[in-house]
Amino acid sequence: MTMLGDNPAATPKLAPAPVASVIDLQVHFRSKAGVVHAVDGVSFDIADGETLGLVGETGCGKSVTARSFLRLVPMPPGIQAGGSILFRPHRGCEACFGNGCDVCHQSGRAPDVCGDCAGSGCDACAGTGHLTVDLLEVAEQDLRNIRGNRIAMIFQDPGKALNPAMSIRDQLAEVFYAHRSAELLAAAGLDGGGDGPVGTLMRRKAGLRSSRLEDVLLTLPSLRARRNRLRVAADNRIAEALAETQIPNPRKVMDRYPHELSGGMRQRVMIAQALACDPDLLIADEPTTALDVTVQARILELIRELQQRHRTSVLYISHDLSLVRRVCDRVAVMYAGRIVEVAPAAEIFNEPSHPYTRGLLAAIPAASHERGRLVAIAGTVPELIDPPPACRFAGRCPFEAEACQLHDPDPEAIGVGHEVACFIHHPPPDSTAARPSFDRQVR
Amino acid sequence: MRAAEDVVDSTQTGRRELVLAVRELGKYFPIREGALQKIAGHIKAVDGVSFDIAPGQTLGLVGESGCGKTTLGRCVAGLTDPTAGGVYFGLDSAARDRLDSLLAVTAPTAEQQSELEDLTDRHRVDRMKGDSYRRYRRNCQVVFQESFASLNPRQLVKDIVGRPLRVHREASGQQLTARVVELLDQVGLGRQHLYRYPHQFSGGQRQRISIARALALDPELVILDEPTSALDVSVQAQILNLLHDLQRERQLAYLFITHDLSVVRHMADRIVVMYVGQVAEAGPTEALFERPEHPYTQALLASSPDVDEETLNLQPLEGAIPDPARPPQGCRFHTRCPVATPACGWEVDDVVRWLEDVEGTFDTLRGVTRRSAFDAALTFADADSAQGLAAALRSGAIPGSMQTALEELKVDGNDVQIRFTEVDEVQLTTRGPDHVAACLLDGGVARPG
Repeated sequence: MTMLGDNPAATPKLAPAPVASVIDLQVHFRSKAGVVHAVDGVSFDIADGETLGLVGETGCGKSVTARSFLRLVPMPPGIQAGGSILFRPHRGCEACFGNGCDVCHQSGRAPDVCGDCAGSGCDACAGTGHLTVDLLEVAEQDLRNIRGNRIAMIFQDPGKALNPAMSIRDQLAEVFYAHRSAELLAAAGLDGGGDGPVGTLMRRKAGLRSSRLEDVLLTLPSLRARRNRLRVAADNRIAEALAETQIPNPRKVMDRYPHELSGGMRQRVMIAQALACDPDLLIADEPTTALDVTVQARILELIRELQQRHRTSVLYISHDLSLVRRVCDRVAVMYAGRIVEVAPAAEIFNEPSHPYTRGLLAAIPAASHERGRLVAIAGTVPELIDPPPACRFAGRCPFEAEACQLHDPDPEAIGVGHEVACFIHHPPPDSTAARPSFDRQVR
Repeated sequence: MRAAEDVVDSTQTGRRELVLAVRELGKYFPIREGALQKIAGHIKAVDGVSFDIAPGQTLGLVGESGCGKTTLGRCVAGLTDPTAGGVYFGLDSAARDRLDSLLAVTAPTAEQQSELEDLTDRHRVDRMKGDSYRRYRRNCQVVFQESFASLNPRQLVKDIVGRPLRVHREASGQQLTARVVELLDQVGLGRQHLYRYPHQFSGGQRQRISIARALALDPELVILDEPTSALDVSVQAQILNLLHDLQRERQLAYLFITHDLSVVRHMADRIVVMYVGQVAEAGPTEALFERPEHPYTQALLASSPDVDEETLNLQPLEGAIPDPARPPQGCRFHTRCPVATPACGWEVDDVVRWLEDVEGTFDTLRGVTRRSAFDAALTFADADSAQGLAAALRSGAIPGSMQTALEELKVDGNDVQIRFTEVDEVQLTTRGPDHVAACLLDGGVARPG
């Protein structure tokens, strides 16, 4: 922990800033056919305590965007073509010990202060005064301290994301050993691990750095008691984390292996693991896609409840619009590597302003639709290999006009917190070309 | 295509008034244990399911994963042989009524027996031979969930779609190519796609190829096993529209297997809701969505999100799906039912399941001696645990209806004797025109009388 949590306790009162800001993110992939522009100029903010939904079809780049937060996109074949992801970590508020006060805006968590300017605002923190980390630039060792600690992720298929050869106890213990070893040592009554070689040994054990030989040493009768105390401390934390996700009888579940649990239970374990360190940002990548509707309902309920209790910000990725409406505060719609519309959740469903958003909503079968009369979006998602500078939705858009072929629209505001990337709502840079309009349908 | 129709027409019945009748269908998978692989029990994936499908009708089959809907689809498609009951193909409604009356006879005379045998030989899928079996094969086709896994990656589209025509000696050479182009045209693909491999297509296009292959022999029934669950909504809309248009043109009957309620509501005329291998409720789509009678159907509807609804008002179901190797007694849903009554089939296994979720107590359970599913002795390691369990069962820790169903509770040293009221399996009862449900209650409330 070189960058995080080194600041003195004096917390100046800072104006709230987004917990994360994605600025012009570009992730490309090299392929035989050319460079695939999977994510091409994506920008959005995630406010503190907010749930932002990221919606789009298969291959639109939503998972790549999410994985870029933790640098989980394999490079090569991936190419970091530009942009940045700014992350502003928080820690427990010292003024109220996490109970919520004026200093921390009732969240119980205070932002870390920028080391360069002590909160007065400088270039490094973009004038916010918050400690700001560019996740795409930060050193690997610092990133390891952020992963699973300040930013956690829930993956789509818990059957694949959990290690089948490790018991639930061992998988969860890793999180605590990696990020909370000092707390574990304190709970085990081994404050700081003590001095001398034994202290070093215990610190290494608690920090997952012990070698095979050191593990053998720890089975010696004189050291075994200490090791067991450390284990009990970890077990307590694990049981606590599991109980929080409403797993019945957590001490029993701890000894199980993933294949012994049902899909819903496995996803609960994943959630317990993700929330173990009380992260600032939780990235949920289609957390309920692999589950049944009845189980999905309970998992959604659980994520929402835990999010409210911990005031964690959530980036919720899904292809299911009906789910997103129920879970999210704001929704960003992605298409072919670009964000086409961002708006508060209710607004995107009541006044969808991008033709693609309209198409997506119309394609969902509802009770009111006559059979065989679903409004499908014609055509298929375009190839993202070296795309031309045209609107990505041109070719499938029923309202397309000349301007759409010449320029790629950028998102621009059309209302409070409502941005749309479409020439229907704002004029193209070259104003001579014909503009599209909702009144004039091409097909 | 036309030739295919001729063959069907030549069987005097033409397009029948009934495509398929499923009667008391059961499929049990053996559980083998030990060095000798002795059969220790059966997983009853499908257990006593009956329904009919008429031409031009879509029957929706819904349920959670593991409820047996795919196994049922495989039995109907003839991909596995049922263990009990049967799938009858090619009956007209008179023969169907005759079959039902013959099946209902408990002690048949020799004459009735031979008539039943005759009907079975001619119409039951697993007993068919020769021409009638070939006719069934060509008239019953399947579209699978995973278009990637169900299309041979080493074959060209022309060979994949033309394969059924070749097998049934319908066409060859130039004629075959022409027929394949015609089929591709119907599903929105074209001649340019003939000489490509499956991997060159998107998910939606691959599903179209699967549909073209299923339609090649102009079948009467197409089994759609989650045809759109791997697709995006916009592509799903295309495929659903296509399926509907094809059905109207050709009077196709669909068995539509899915877990997506909004899709099934859009597509199906009738819906069968399955739970742990049995039918919980069946009825016309509108009736089932407007007035769901079974608490399980109500729970399914309550937990599926609807894009038209703004408020989050999910009513999640408690607990997990029970193990189909030991299905619950009485009503199979009673373990999770929010309105369960004492007569719903509370049993010893419910106590064992409950113990599993309570910290500590289950660890000292040494064994269960069953006299029946409702009557058993639970042996603990020490008398304290036995006393503790008895006290918990007498207190409010368990559901009230379970407590009422508990007839006897005796502590005997380390043993706890438990006996519940014995109940029979819940039967399907009529709730409206063509609408049946297997529940003791009436629309989730206690039925008068």
